[in-house]
Amino acid sequence: MAADNKRTVLIMKEKRTVPQKVKDELKYFTQVKKKILKALKEKEMTVPELAKAIEMQEGDTLYYLMSLLKYGFVETGEIDDMDEYFYYKLKNNG
Amino acid sequence: MQYQTDNNSYDALVIGAGIAGGEAALNLANLGYKVLLIDKDLTIGGKMIMLSKVFPTLDCSACITTPKVSEISRHPNIKILTSTQASNITQKSDGTFMAEITTKPRYVEIEDCTGCQLCEEACPVIVKDQYQYDLVGRKAAYIPFSIASPRAAAIDIENCTLCGACERACPTNCIDFTQTDKKITIKCNTVILATGFQLFDPTLIPRYGFGRFKNVITSMQMERQLAPTRPFNTVLRPSDGKLPDNIAYVLCTGSRDKTLGNPICSQVCCMYSTKQAQLLMGALPMADITLYYLHIRAFGKGFNEFYAQAQSMGVEFVKGKVAKITEKENGNLILRYEDINGNVVKETEHDMVVLSVGILPNVGIQELFSGINLELDEFNYVKQTDVLASPAATSINGVFVAGTASAPMDIPDSILSAGAASAEAANYIRKMSEINVSV
Ligand SMILES: Cc1cc2nc3c(=O)[nH]c(=O)nc-3n(C[C@H](O)[C@H](O)[C@H](O)COP(=O)(O)OP(=O)(O)OC[C@H]3O[C@@H](n4cnc5c(N)ncnc54)[C@H](O)[C@@H]3O)c2cc1C
Ligand code: SF4
Repeated sequence: MAADNKRTVLIMKEKRTVPQKVKDELKYFTQVKKKILKALKEKEMTVPELAKAIEMQEGDTLYYLMSLLKYGFVETGEIDDMDEYFYYKLKNNG
Repeated sequence: MQYQTDNNSYDALVIGAGIAGGEAALNLANLGYKVLLIDKDLTIGGKMIMLSKVFPTLDCSACITTPKVSEISRHPNIKILTSTQASNITQKSDGTFMAEITTKPRYVEIEDCTGCQLCEEACPVIVKDQYQYDLVGRKAAYIPFSIASPRAAAIDIENCTLCGACERACPTNCIDFTQTDKKITIKCNTVILATGFQLFDPTLIPRYGFGRFKNVITSMQMERQLAPTRPFNTVLRPSDGKLPDNIAYVLCTGSRDKTLGNPICSQVCCMYSTKQAQLLMGALPMADITLYYLHIRAFGKGFNEFYAQAQSMGVEFVKGKVAKITEKENGNLILRYEDINGNVVKETEHDMVVLSVGILPNVGIQELFSGINLELDEFNYVKQTDVLASPAATSINGVFVAGTASAPMDIPDSILSAGAASAEAANYIRKMSEINVSV
């Protein structure tokens, strides 16, 4: 069990500085997450549609969208008429 | 650093807890021997626990691995240490060994973690998930994957923002940022090396475009896409999330190539590619699958039938040497290859390419030992000094090798090899105790 209930992170903070890169990446992900969730609140979208809406490269959009799917923010919808791309939507309407 | 001075004594130290190490540990434990099984990873199970299904039976890999892993974890004669490596292994004059064992901090008390994932939910960070071969993200507080063993959280301190959200969320107070490296010294009668293999790094063949072209992926990434615990909702192109419908495999990527320093056959890529092709035909019934090969090595029991089954399902096998892959604007890929039977150079278009990467020896195994020389063979695998009479014997009396640490091989052969290693190790332990009793 942890040495001091719910406070051991403070001990680590004294020893370790969080690298700037880690802070920047968190900031970036938080922004991307907000953008994706906002866009999907409007309507269901495929990866290319979502990439266009949030002005992000399609491959990166897939990576962040699938991470949000994994953690239960987003779910898979129907496939498009050409059987090429799935639609993705907010889980329980956000 | 927390130093422990307790007198840890084991019959066997097994290094590497993939299928080979796990099997060897289990065999010895069932004979009544006390085993320390260590793995440098956060979980035991090695590569096998990450696979989708296995050739040639198409049994679900997780379904075979999980009961085995749980038997190993619950065995009273086996102590498991994850995030752990051995060093300074020395041999005493009586033939027994001493080893330094170092466990890296996980920042979670494994015994207290219930695997509830509340820490994971609370963690705000996303970084590439190494267990999904970078296809998707994971948190900095995370359980490696759902069938990991132990199924306990770990903190990726390199990517942690030290926000403390995980610690506040944990209902059992098992997160502990005060953990440091733990070192113990153990004594053991025998050592089994089951350190497995590493995958060929395809960026070493720049003309195939891996790392530059998103739709060129490795076979391990496809293995994950086909597994029940997959990164995406189904098999998708990493460049844009499209369902692929024309997939190519490039066999022998990084194998049988002297210029890359790996002249030997990796033994498993023909069959795992044939397996993946069959699984893809199930997952994507409309897709065309083409395997570009030099020779098909279908040498094991049922392998040729498995190959014929893939052909009858419509998988196309093209005897061709792929020279170069280029990318089109829509993410599709052009394969330029030598059609060996037609003796012409051809180009074909696919919307995804899987590189069937080869198996390579793990490095740094010799450095585990101090004052004794572990010999490697000409391909840098652990040398089997008497392959026919004593296949697990190495250049150090009392040190045995199991699984892919000795050569590329599939799962059944890794298990057989682990059987040989445990039998030879048991024999050595028996001899040690007879000598030590009579002295
Ligand atoms: C894409 C792909 C698909 C495959 N599909 C099949 C299939 O369908 N059927 C089949 O039969 N085979 C298949 N194989 C082959 C199969 O993966 C291997 O035969 C098997 O995993 C070998 O097990 P192992 O225990 O020898 O090695 P590994 O699985 O590599 O385990 C070695 C373990 O040792 C640990 N380790 C390494 N170094 C150290 C150290 N210094 N200290 C502590 N721990 C260490 C590692 O973390 C790892 O857990 C496939 C292989 C690949 C690449
Ligand atoms: S660390 Fe705590 S919150 Fe996280 S999974 Fe374990 S018990 Fe749950």
